[in-house]
Amino acid sequence: MKRETITRMLNGLDDRYVSEAEAYLPVAVQESPERISHMKKKRILTFALAAALILLLGAAAYASWSVHTVRQQELKADFGIEENKVDSYVEYAVPDGQGQGLVLLSAVNDGREQRVYVNISPVSEEEAAAFPDKTRFVWCIEGTEIGGFAAPQLPVELSLSGTDEIRAAVMEHAYDKETQTLTLQGFLDVNMVERAMTELGTDAVPLAVQMLPEDGEPRSFGPVPFALTGEQSRVFDFGRAVYHDEELDKDIEIIGLELTPFSAVWKVSYEGAASFHTPEADWAAYEPWSLLEDKICIEAEIVFSDGSAFSTGGALTTPYKDGAVHLTCGWGGAIDIDDVQRIVLGDLVLWERK
Amino acid sequence: MSDEEILDLFFERSEQAIVELAEKHGSAVQRVAFNILGDAEDAKECVNDTWLGAWNSIPPQRPAPLRSYVCRIARNLATKRYHANTAQKRNSRYDLALDELAECIPDSRSVEDRIDARELARTIDRFLDTLSYEDKFLFMRRYWFADSLAEAAGMAGMSYGAAAVRLHRVKEKLRKQLLKEGVPV
Repeated sequence: MKRETITRMLNGLDDRYVSEAEAYLPVAVQESPERISHMKKKRILTFALAAALILLLGAAAYASWSVHTVRQQELKADFGIEENKVDSYVEYAVPDGQGQGLVLLSAVNDGREQRVYVNISPVSEEEAAAFPDKTRFVWCIEGTEIGGFAAPQLPVELSLSGTDEIRAAVMEHAYDKETQTLTLQGFLDVNMVERAMTELGTDAVPLAVQMLPEDGEPRSFGPVPFALTGEQSRVFDFGRAVYHDEELDKDIEIIGLELTPFSAVWKVSYEGAASFHTPEADWAAYEPWSLLEDKICIEAEIVFSDGSAFSTGGALTTPYKDGAVHLTCGWGGAIDIDDVQRIVLGDLVLWERK
Repeated sequence: MSDEEILDLFFERSEQAIVELAEKHGSAVQRVAFNILGDAEDAKECVNDTWLGAWNSIPPQRPAPLRSYVCRIARNLATKRYHANTAQKRNSRYDLALDELAECIPDSRSVEDRIDARELARTIDRFLDTLSYEDKFLFMRRYWFADSLAEAAGMAGMSYGAAAVRLHRVKEKLRKQLLKEGVPV
């Protein structure tokens, strides 16, 4: 009987959740609902200014830019690279003309993942519009079995529901009809790239993208040589600050925070932490601790000089290593890690600029 | 062909509508049916019944998005068939998904006494609104689409272990939310 109740309950869930889950679109992942929203206005403004500049330059000037240059400008503005002084964001030299195949646009290393943005061409309008229903994209390192999904790059603030909205957004923001160019993002696990470097005995691995149509032959773009880019991070030592949660009646040590413009690792420790982060964990015993881990990632505030605050959002992974749980979080647009003035969790001041 | 054009064919009562619908959304519908029923023959019949269900309901309905609509028909038909079949043959994948979710959903007696499935669905709708996209994606793929955890993890480009931990955390949050809303767990 209970199974039937659960089935009826699942059948009754709102359509919007069903359509959101029809295709995985990482862009939507990057901005969780817990994120404090004041950062967004700044990025939208920057993006609008870049668009206005392109308009001011006029059609002739625009035409003299390659689609690759235009995409580089859009990406930089969308991520807020300049105003947040992101030194680790790398832009590659791109061909003046159209160029074909795989063109590296930019990359940034967030510590856990190497984010890479590329253009591929030629991709017909029909092929681009087949995503996500009938076509998938994957990145791979040739000569190895290392790879993962890639997806069209869409503005970080976009919130989409259903395949039709996704398709429309791809055609509007990621596809250039005139040059038959599609802009993709790939999130390469840094450990995997390092493994490929060892396997191939090289610092620059052959990075390729494959287009996999449901009904048709896969098509390869590239490879191009790609080397891991430098990481920009800042480490905050909290001196093993202890946070007491009244509701759960638990104490947790917050050891420190490693912050990059696009990601964070909160390091925490508590009684029995090592045993909860194994496949054989006692889930019931872990429950209050998992809630507390979430609370730190979501409710701690990173405060900047203009008084605005930022939350790192829920943890994406929670591995236990070197005597601490590493709560790793990520987001879409950059923050200025050198402008941090204070880090607080409720009344507990974890760090303050002297 | 766009969903709008397919819907136009339905409204013209053209049988080509079914052909185009199957061409565009057939694989998604087949996947939902097979995930729940675990049997290719049963899934095939369920898919055919889904097209019939769409034919009988469009018009008057003009659903958007169309894919969710036909997947929902397929899910309803597949779960009915699943519960009818369940004494004879059980599909371990869907069983497992239901068992996982049962850990954080009220028991049947409490449900009947205190809350019905529809109310519970609204509560879970509200809960889903609080989750990140990634967590929502895993939850829906595992429990609504009945994908295996490995498949859902693969679609989201994450390791099996990472997906397992995230889903566990989501379930724990759900349990807490239900308790908060006075639903006995």
